[in-house]
Amino acid sequence: MKQNHIYNKVKGLVGLMLLAPLSALLFSGCDDFFDVEPQDKITLEKFWNEKSDVDNVLMGCYSAMQSYGMISRMMIWGEFRSDNVNKGVGTHNDVSLERVLEENIDPSNAYTAWNEFYGVINRCNTVMLYAPQVAAKDPAYSPSELSATIAEATAIRSLCYFYLIRTFCNVPYITTAYIDDTQERDLPVSSFDDVLDSLIVSLERVKGDALTRYPSGTSEKAIYNTARITRDAIHAMLCEMYLWKKDYDNCVKYADLVIDAKKERYKEEHAGYNMDTDNRLNGYPLALDWAGRSSYFFGSAYSNIFGSGNAEESIFELTFSSNSGMLRNGPVNTFYGFGAGNDLQGFVAPSSFLGTDVEDKTYAVFNNEYDSRYYENIRSVGNSVYSIAKYVFTSRLVSVSTPTKPQVASVGSTYSKDNNQSNWIIYRLSDIMLLKAEALVEKMDNANEAEVNTRLRQQAFALVNAVNKRSVCQTTLTDTLVYRDYNTKAKLQTLVMQERQRELMFEGKRWYDLVRRSLRDGNADYLVSCISQKGLENVSLVSNRMKSMKTWPGQLFLPYNLDETKVSENLAKSQNPAYPSGEDSSIKTSAN
Amino acid sequence: MKQLRFIIITMLCLLSLGAQAQQITSVHGTVSDDMGPLMGATVCEIDATGRIIESAVTDLNGNFTMKVKNPKDKIRFSYVGLKTQTLAINKTSFNIMMASATMLKEVTVKSKKRMQGNALPIPEREISFATQTISMKEFEGLGMTTVDEALQGRIAGLDIVTGGDLGAGSTMRLRGTSSISGLTDGNPLIVVDGNTWNVDTENFDFNAANNEKFAELLNVNPEDIASITVLKDAAATAIYGSQGGSGVIEITTKRGARGKPRLTYTLKLTGRYQPKGYDLLNGDDYTMLLKESYFNPEQSDAASNIKELNYDPTFSEYEQYNNNTDWYDAVTQWGLMQNHYITVSGGGEKATFRISGGYDHETNSVIGQKLQRFSTRVNLDYNVSQRIRVSTNFNMTYTKKKMNSDNLLALALKKMPNMSIYEQYPVGSALQGEDTDAYYTMLQSGSEVFKDDQRVYINPVASANLAQNKSDAYNMSPELVINYHLLGMDEDHWQLNWRGAVYMNIFNEYVDRFYPAALKTVNWNEGINTSYSGSSKSVSFTTKHTLTLIPHFVNKDHSAMAMGRLELNTGSSTGQSADGKGLPSGGIVSPDAGGIITGLGSSYNQWRSLYMTFSAHYAYKSRYVLDFTLRADGTTKFGPGNRWGYFPSVSLRWNIIDEPWMKWSHKWLSMFSIRPSWARVGKDPSRDFLYTVTYSPTSSYLDMSGLMKPDGLRLSNMKWQTTTGYNLGIDLGFFDDRLRLTLEGYHSTVTDLLLQNFRVPSSSGFTTLGVMNNGKMRNVGWEFHIETNRMIKAGKFSMDMNVNFGNNRNEILELDENQLKSYNTTVNYENRQVLTRIQLNNPFGAIYGYRSQGVYNCSYDFLETQWESNQLVKNNYTTYKQFVDAFLTGNLPQEFYDVRGWTKRPMTAPVARNADGGVIVDDEGKPKKMMFAYVNAGSGQTGRNYEFKGGDAIYEDVNHDGNINALDIVYLGSSLPKLTGGFGFSFTYGDWRLSTQFTYRLGNKIVNLARLDTEAMSTNNNQAQAVNYRWRKEGDETSIPRALYGNGQYNTLISDRFVEKGDFLRMSYIQLSYALKKKQLTWIGLNRLSFYVSANKPFVLTKYSGVDPEVNYGGYGPATDSGQTPPSRSYTLGMTVEF
Repeated sequence: MKQNHIYNKVKGLVGLMLLAPLSALLFSGCDDFFDVEPQDKITLEKFWNEKSDVDNVLMGCYSAMQSYGMISRMMIWGEFRSDNVNKGVGTHNDVSLERVLEENIDPSNAYTAWNEFYGVINRCNTVMLYAPQVAAKDPAYSPSELSATIAEATAIRSLCYFYLIRTFCNVPYITTAYIDDTQERDLPVSSFDDVLDSLIVSLERVKGDALTRYPSGTSEKAIYNTARITRDAIHAMLCEMYLWKKDYDNCVKYADLVIDAKKERYKEEHAGYNMDTDNRLNGYPLALDWAGRSSYFFGSAYSNIFGSGNAEESIFELTFSSNSGMLRNGPVNTFYGFGAGNDLQGFVAPSSFLGTDVEDKTYAVFNNEYDSRYYENIRSVGNSVYSIAKYVFTSRLVSVSTPTKPQVASVGSTYSKDNNQSNWIIYRLSDIMLLKAEALVEKMDNANEAEVNTRLRQQAFALVNAVNKRSVCQTTLTDTLVYRDYNTKAKLQTLVMQERQRELMFEGKRWYDLVRRSLRDGNADYLVSCISQKGLENVSLVSNRMKSMKTWPGQLFLPYNLDETKVSENLAKSQNPAYPSGEDSSIKTSAN
Repeated sequence: MKQLRFIIITMLCLLSLGAQAQQITSVHGTVSDDMGPLMGATVCEIDATGRIIESAVTDLNGNFTMKVKNPKDKIRFSYVGLKTQTLAINKTSFNIMMASATMLKEVTVKSKKRMQGNALPIPEREISFATQTISMKEFEGLGMTTVDEALQGRIAGLDIVTGGDLGAGSTMRLRGTSSISGLTDGNPLIVVDGNTWNVDTENFDFNAANNEKFAELLNVNPEDIASITVLKDAAATAIYGSQGGSGVIEITTKRGARGKPRLTYTLKLTGRYQPKGYDLLNGDDYTMLLKESYFNPEQSDAASNIKELNYDPTFSEYEQYNNNTDWYDAVTQWGLMQNHYITVSGGGEKATFRISGGYDHETNSVIGQKLQRFSTRVNLDYNVSQRIRVSTNFNMTYTKKKMNSDNLLALALKKMPNMSIYEQYPVGSALQGEDTDAYYTMLQSGSEVFKDDQRVYINPVASANLAQNKSDAYNMSPELVINYHLLGMDEDHWQLNWRGAVYMNIFNEYVDRFYPAALKTVNWNEGINTSYSGSSKSVSFTTKHTLTLIPHFVNKDHSAMAMGRLELNTGSSTGQSADGKGLPSGGIVSPDAGGIITGLGSSYNQWRSLYMTFSAHYAYKSRYVLDFTLRADGTTKFGPGNRWGYFPSVSLRWNIIDEPWMKWSHKWLSMFSIRPSWARVGKDPSRDFLYTVTYSPTSSYLDMSGLMKPDGLRLSNMKWQTTTGYNLGIDLGFFDDRLRLTLEGYHSTVTDLLLQNFRVPSSSGFTTLGVMNNGKMRNVGWEFHIETNRMIKAGKFSMDMNVNFGNNRNEILELDENQLKSYNTTVNYENRQVLTRIQLNNPFGAIYGYRSQGVYNCSYDFLETQWESNQLVKNNYTTYKQFVDAFLTGNLPQEFYDVRGWTKRPMTAPVARNADGGVIVDDEGKPKKMMFAYVNAGSGQTGRNYEFKGGDAIYEDVNHDGNINALDIVYLGSSLPKLTGGFGFSFTYGDWRLSTQFTYRLGNKIVNLARLDTEAMSTNNNQAQAVNYRWRKEGDETSIPRALYGNGQYNTLISDRFVEKGDFLRMSYIQLSYALKKKQLTWIGLNRLSFYVSANKPFVLTKYSGVDPEVNYGGYGPATDSGQTPPSRSYTLGMTVEF
């Protein structure tokens, strides 16, 4: 009996072992057996079903733009080749950065890589491909929401392209989404002008669809208005794009749209209340730097714009916060903040002439010792060593109570190492005001009548003056700009350039300003005169190369990265000829 | 339930009783032999399959009674020593007279040695593919701890590089590299008792983290191994399909054998030590070198005034920097290993068993490494009947490892030798210069020059003792197997056998790390008291069903067999980890204990696959053999259209020896056969979901979390990587197989290579494709091995040997041009840059570099000064060129040399020379300076424009343009050996046995970066004693350049100075064993008692100057030795006792 039992059990087991796998196959079918779904990701087949899928990918573009790769390039491309910046502490840890600062760039330089930008572009293209399909499926996704999505995606994409053409001149312009490896990847480059025109056209098309204001709610929702693309942001982009296109009327038009919207907003928020009692701001809704009429401290605007962030005068900034799931502003941390060790000194520092500008009374950049932006942006580390304070410190308090000279009253608090949360500002009002001023000055040529010229001059000066005056740290304004000093177009042009340099210092704008100016002038003389101040080792060589008509304006733009030209014949063919190939060294291949 | 079943069965019994009322229900009787009644004789009822249904034993008088279940069964009478009788149950009473069984007729037992493992049980002489088997008998009693040690040098074409760290495992390459990406495993597939290990391959970098995992696979105790078979050609591995693409190592473990239980205890005691590397400088020499290397670049005393080097007693840390510490000595020790192993095996007719348990305790030759392992294996076989056998195997290993947190040996090589290990009492103290009990680490206030190196180098002794890095791993694999003979039981009938198996694989691992603040002198917020804890578990489930059909042919000339198999595999793995920092000092080591959590991670993965195999074997007269295998693999790695890969193979064997016209040779030739084979196998990528676009979470933006991003492009074009291989083997056996020789030649082509992270233009939104099928690669090679079986036998003495060698040539035939470009390096004119250059239709691993020609005796300035102010020179020569020519050829007046105390000889200086050796002069008649990487200003190219100085390394100016640049780089040799292999001898004399094994490699070169680093003199790292012969002053004749801190020199460009021959001959082991005679043991109740002593890797003969010439090769780049931990030397004492 007992053994019979065992026998039966074995038989049963045999049957079970035979049946188990077979039934698994029979019941599920062969193909189902292989249908394994990942647990930590979603496959294409299961994605793109509802509005939140679209939002999640689109919002992911913002966090992608906050990545080290992107912000570091916005800084390096837009600022570090300019006269503002030079080597700091521990720069040798980033060889590619060191080479950029030495103007010793070749295609193997890591900062010529653009993959993050195209990554975001492709995500935007993907959103634009799938959003309409989702809208067809998801009844909760209204047509107006869909067009707002398309507008936001278009704007982010355009912003990325705008960075690319200002840096590389001609780039592949792609508006279709890459999904599959069968799609052609090696596409020819489009010219700077073609891309710029396409960007303008696409933004003009969607500008009406973008939200003017996001619905308010929690405090974090409230900052969407500056942390995400709004209609103002699109207008700001159009304003700058038209300026590069040398279409000054349109530039002024879009600047005005932005300025008026900001004025409107200001009126709403501060109805009947005028802070600007000594008329520093010429009626523009900028934040005052003076802490208050009864105080001897300046630095309010700084802590408002760079400390708290998402200021009223801001238009679009990549916003960081203490949320644990968010990235930190790594590039600011290493480039401006902590380059090596724990002392507050970054891989880059203000160029020495800039650091000592006020100290030794050269005033090459700042007009006089009463420009509070000097104290706010630059920090003296001692022994004529300076480090960048902007974005690193959350507040900079400038005391004017001393009779001799204003000085930094308290160093202000900073973010701790590797925890920088300062927003990276793309557009703010003073930027737009100065862009408008630049356009107005350029328009002066076309205005034959003196009267028109004068009006443009006055308008431009008023804009520059408003930006300048708010940072004059005197309780009684005396040392401000004087209108009659800027009586020619050339002088005004320089004034605008310099005011932009002072106001937007270290914000990733200066090099682009210099390039724009050079392209307009048809030569790089102004640019060369500026950057030769920063004390490059091979300054004459660099100057000659920058000016050289043979390759000009190639030197103003970066070469395509070697890794890209290796895999793309089109890029290799269109490589910027101004640079060494980075691959000039070949080794003998034969055994001898 | 039980009751119900009982009722049903009872009912059935009753029913059957009712149906046949007349049937016999019980029997009785007596059993006796010619001496009278037998007590204790066994009587049993057996059914048609031989299964015992009922049984009884005779009593004192030889009587028995027994119930009978089924009268159709038979009754069997048996007694030890007597002939068993089996009768039909046709009566109720049996009186049996049993006859003696000791009178036997002559019996001849013929059996064929058959192939074991997963394939068909083919007789050995009909195997038609390339395999090599080693029986563990050969290693019995050898001091092996791992399988790879046993295999090293034994298998032709299998290259094993053993790692030096505890549990680090080895890298194995069978017949060269089968893949050039890290996406597929290059190590052979390990099969234990027919089962493969199913690990999680997603997110698994095979090239980097692999070896340790691989070691786990080989974690079979050598004492348990019955045999190891290496399957080499594609036809042999075909039954493993895509799993066996890099070759297969099949391990068969021992099983229980009938007989009374045997208890075996094995003890191994091993001591091991680290081979000494380069002789490094002591503290005094080091400080002198460093002072020079700081003085030289700027020629300034201020630059070399470094307080740590000054031996100034007023310096507060004086006592910490006035020592001669041998760091290498401090971190190495005699490592001790003890391995205990107990086996019990035995069994009877019904069941056999083998149970074993082992305990290992090992400390390594590097301090702070410890391993404890407990392993057990149970193999049970139960014969339910003649037709059915149930086997169960269970095996578990628990490994507890304590590892280093830093690479101690690497630190020991770099650490400044004048620094002390322990903080010492300062000047003025009563105990001045004595060690305190605190470890010393350079303070943050240490000199600025040490900022990036010595100041951040951890004290290795402190790291070994204070930091914690441990892992606990559990590895279990239970298995249940049923064998069922469905038809005939022997060769005279058709046989159809079913084998069903269920196999599970469970692997759990826990890792804990803690890095205390005491090791680093940094601020608290730099991440002190960091900690990590992680765990992972992986479970896989395999069912396998095999049907084997062996037909019976009346004509015995034909023999055939066929097999069909279905294998189904599912598995999943999960893991989670946490990182923390800023933990409170003192005992708290877990990241969740109040510190700052810096990272949390988790992973989940799941996989399924389905394999179907059909295999057939046919032999005519055992002379002409044909094998055919078709395997279909289905996997979740590919998308719906591409899931199945079909891999056929055909192999033939012609036993020429069996041809009638070969009869004449049978006296001395016992085997002569040729074996051609062809097969196609495939390989799938290790990553999942490449066939679709996956969206995965990305960082949040403000309050919006759960944001997604696409991970890559959908790879619609992805397909299987396929290998088509041909193999031709020749087997020869001489003198009744006393000497066997096998020759194999192979040619395999890999097409549609799976290239990982294939670079694409990033304007597509992605920089790489996860996988790209691109390129074609070829492996061509041949192998040769000889084995003997009691080759020489004279009385008590016998001798055997094994010899093997092999050669493999690996080359790329086709590859995307851009991919090729990105594999090849661009010359950047920096020291230590190893150039990789792959050319189509050329072997991998070519080494390129400059040709070194020693060191410049004198500087250019020296010549200049002599020409301008030396009267002797002015008197003798009219032109500068004449003087320099004479200087270079050694023809200056004798007086010139005498003044300086030099011997008259040709000398070198950094001046450009033409092809004839004449000095090149410029328009002013001045010799042109020798330059490094000179480019014209404004040419837009990046050069170095360095002027060589006295004491700099001389590189041959191949094109005589006075400029050392990329055009002077030449081919310096190949990393691929011309021949690799091994040989061994064993001698037996009575109960004594001596065995030896050697491995060797011939004809390869190695770039010795480790030596480069210890002779560079451009950093603060400690250097080799060779640098004491460095160039110091004008006229010095030496091969070692001057000391120069920093990057202002080009003395360590890759040149033939650092390219060395890698030939070696290593003794893998030598062992002497002795087994006591059985008769000497019986009085203490032992069956066996044997002892042995062995030395593992006691020496290596080589001209290579590095620590160990066994450097990995086979990648597409040159073989480089950057100072990996070499395998240690060890001595073992062992004992085996059997009760």
